[in-house]
Amino acid sequence: MMEVSRRVSTRAILLGNEAIARGIVEAGCLVASAYPGTPSSEILPAVAKFADEMGSPMSAEWSVNEKVAFEVAAAASFTGARACAVMKQVGLNVAADPFMSVAHFDLKGGFLLVVADDPGPHSSQTEQDSRYFAMFAKIPCFDPATAAEAKEMVFDAFDLSERFGIIAMLRPGVRVDHCRQDIELGEIRPTSGAVKFEKEPSRWVCLPASVKINHPKLNRKVEDIRTVFETEFSKYNYEIPAKRKPVLGIVASGVPFSVATDLLKEAGRDDVSVLKIGTPHPLPVNMVNDFIARHDRVLFLEETYPVMEMQLPDRTRILGRWNGTVPGAGELLPEVIAGILGRLLQDDSLAGKEHPLLKEALEELRIVPRKPMLCPGCPHRASFFSIRQALPNAVNPSDIGCYTLGVNQKAVDAVVDMGASVTMGSGFFLAHKAAGIDRPVVTTIGDSTFFHMGLPGLASAVYNRHAFVLAILDNSITAMTGGQANPAVGTKLRKGDEGRKVDIEGACRGCGVEYVKTIEAYDVALGKTAIKEAWEHAKSRGEPAVVIFRHPCMLLRPEQSSIPVKVDPEKCIGCKFCINFFNCPGLVFSAETGKAFIDERFCVSCGVCLSVCPHGAIVASSEEAE
Amino acid sequence: MQYVIVGIGGQGILFASKVLGAIALKNGLSVMGSEVHGMAQRGGSVISHFKTGEYASPLVRAGEADLLLAFDQNEGVRNLHFLRQGGAFVVNVHDRASFENPKLTAFLNERRISAFSLEGYRLLKEHMGGNFLFLNVLLMGAMCCAGVGAPSFDETASAVKTLSPAKFEDANMKVLALGYEAIADR
Repeated sequence: MMEVSRRVSTRAILLGNEAIARGIVEAGCLVASAYPGTPSSEILPAVAKFADEMGSPMSAEWSVNEKVAFEVAAAASFTGARACAVMKQVGLNVAADPFMSVAHFDLKGGFLLVVADDPGPHSSQTEQDSRYFAMFAKIPCFDPATAAEAKEMVFDAFDLSERFGIIAMLRPGVRVDHCRQDIELGEIRPTSGAVKFEKEPSRWVCLPASVKINHPKLNRKVEDIRTVFETEFSKYNYEIPAKRKPVLGIVASGVPFSVATDLLKEAGRDDVSVLKIGTPHPLPVNMVNDFIARHDRVLFLEETYPVMEMQLPDRTRILGRWNGTVPGAGELLPEVIAGILGRLLQDDSLAGKEHPLLKEALEELRIVPRKPMLCPGCPHRASFFSIRQALPNAVNPSDIGCYTLGVNQKAVDAVVDMGASVTMGSGFFLAHKAAGIDRPVVTTIGDSTFFHMGLPGLASAVYNRHAFVLAILDNSITAMTGGQANPAVGTKLRKGDEGRKVDIEGACRGCGVEYVKTIEAYDVALGKTAIKEAWEHAKSRGEPAVVIFRHPCMLLRPEQSSIPVKVDPEKCIGCKFCINFFNCPGLVFSAETGKAFIDERFCVSCGVCLSVCPHGAIVASSEEAE
Repeated sequence: MQYVIVGIGGQGILFASKVLGAIALKNGLSVMGSEVHGMAQRGGSVISHFKTGEYASPLVRAGEADLLLAFDQNEGVRNLHFLRQGGAFVVNVHDRASFENPKLTAFLNERRISAFSLEGYRLLKEHMGGNFLFLNVLLMGAMCCAGVGAPSFDETASAVKTLSPAKFEDANMKVLALGYEAIADR
């Protein structure tokens, strides 16, 4: 190449997820698909934004679930196009079927799989380690320690994927996804792959006969990639040697590497060497074994499972999860790593400090962490109140989304994963039926989750004649993850890209549901009647009935009438009914007065709580209404 | 500089790290920060970490923060262990009596922490017609008075202007000054 690059280096402060997105666009990806899920949600919208700004011809689309997203991207790769699928860790569980299958394929276009993990967890039902999944499927995995590194790894993952015809996983943890860092911005790079699908059934049809050829081939690919990781990736896999004879060696990957190096610097420890690994699977075993051989003690720091540890043939000389040095669960926060290092190095400067005065103050002031709650004015709160009050004896399975928080209103009894509200409705019905117990079942699911995985369960329930009420809480947005569109909304991410709205009522009727009723979620009296009526229908006809509670999400800042309220202290008897079953940040109980009051810091004057108090103590505030 | 910003989901605390980031970038400093998104954001306790200078990790370790910016009084008090000896505590107070708890005062004195408190909700009711969405800009204004290397008023004003819609510019500048004066007037 004779041409000297004239690119002007520009830097911007990006969220880790935006840095990954920028890498995806710069790498010349042509098809990007995703389903939102914390901590991955910001990636795809940023892909669309950068693609718009940089004039990329690529698509950037929300799929209805992760399995769909994965398969869309996989087929694009079969044509030679660079493609990527983006999801959170539990999303890969949904996409596990195509993931395991496609891992055996000899792919054509680079296929980047971005799976965001949530050690902690902060916003998930598990803190599973997707690097384990990479190991299970026998594909390479990159584990970034910073946002800048995550962006750089996108290019290498695409290149490696094309070189070996294999899926390449980028596994950022939540602290990389939601880290803010100054990032260098580049241009779209030229790619070699032309889009041309060639008919080649032995390559693209997953017959058992092909597995007999492809599995041994996959094993060879893994070993070849291991060699590449040992020899060509010193930018991600490198040693920071101690300045003196090391008293400890640390092998670390991802954010725990960054945390450990900052801690050692602060504590002035120049007698600890660190081996950073950015490619935890397949592990560059020779590099790691060589490091272990040069140290008396070696500590392993990685999140959240012992994936690097597990790949070592001999673990007897290492300190990690297998012998309890590192906790077996939870995020490796600076305090946790400082505690481990403090103990191993007998260094008090690393140990955490206790503050007895602060502890006593917190106890006196009764300050505890605030639990997540539905937003003030959230339509789900009204829906849950109606559902719980209509049939207090009902079993209430629910789903993954904001409405999991209906648990605060005692209106959610079981949550498993996306779509399980519908299928648990079937299970609860069948168990009670077999035991001859007459007990209503009212399940709740959101609009996006309904399309994600609610539909198969509903078709199954109609077919098998399962009697329960499915309440679809339609706030016309995927709210928990920050407000993404979905089929019920119909809009798309890229400028000029028009989608088509899929009608929830029509989808339910198409599945064979005969009773479908849509109501305004704020109308508590109507909600109670609708649920009772739907249950009577379901029970008498032996089939599922659907009630759609509709009202826009508060994040959309809908225009609605303001109905200021107050609690009449003469009427409030302090029974806490409103706290226990309505549970609004704007309606709180004062231990001092023994009565409820409106906390004006949070109340948005939605007026729904006027229908809540059995003693009529919540009333329109007349002075403001005048 | 290491900052910890705390509050309750929905109070707009992410805006604060965006402003700090824009200022640092203008000054040619490296930036690292960590934010909370998702379920944790829904009305629960939220915390942002923000660091300028040469760091590898986005997280601030307990006892190391130079400045704690608290959108909520209780969340602020609950996270005081993040502050270093001699750090600055900028806090939106809604319950003055609790804030004057003797043990809390003794702790602040023991750690030589400078507390800068303002009654944000009252100020916004008096001056902004009770629009509490301005709380984040109000606190950014207050932060400019905190010393310990916090950004200046002018730097902050210019970053707020760049990062927020033009139609809010006048109101934002008014609120920023309101926050600044609430602390500076003491």
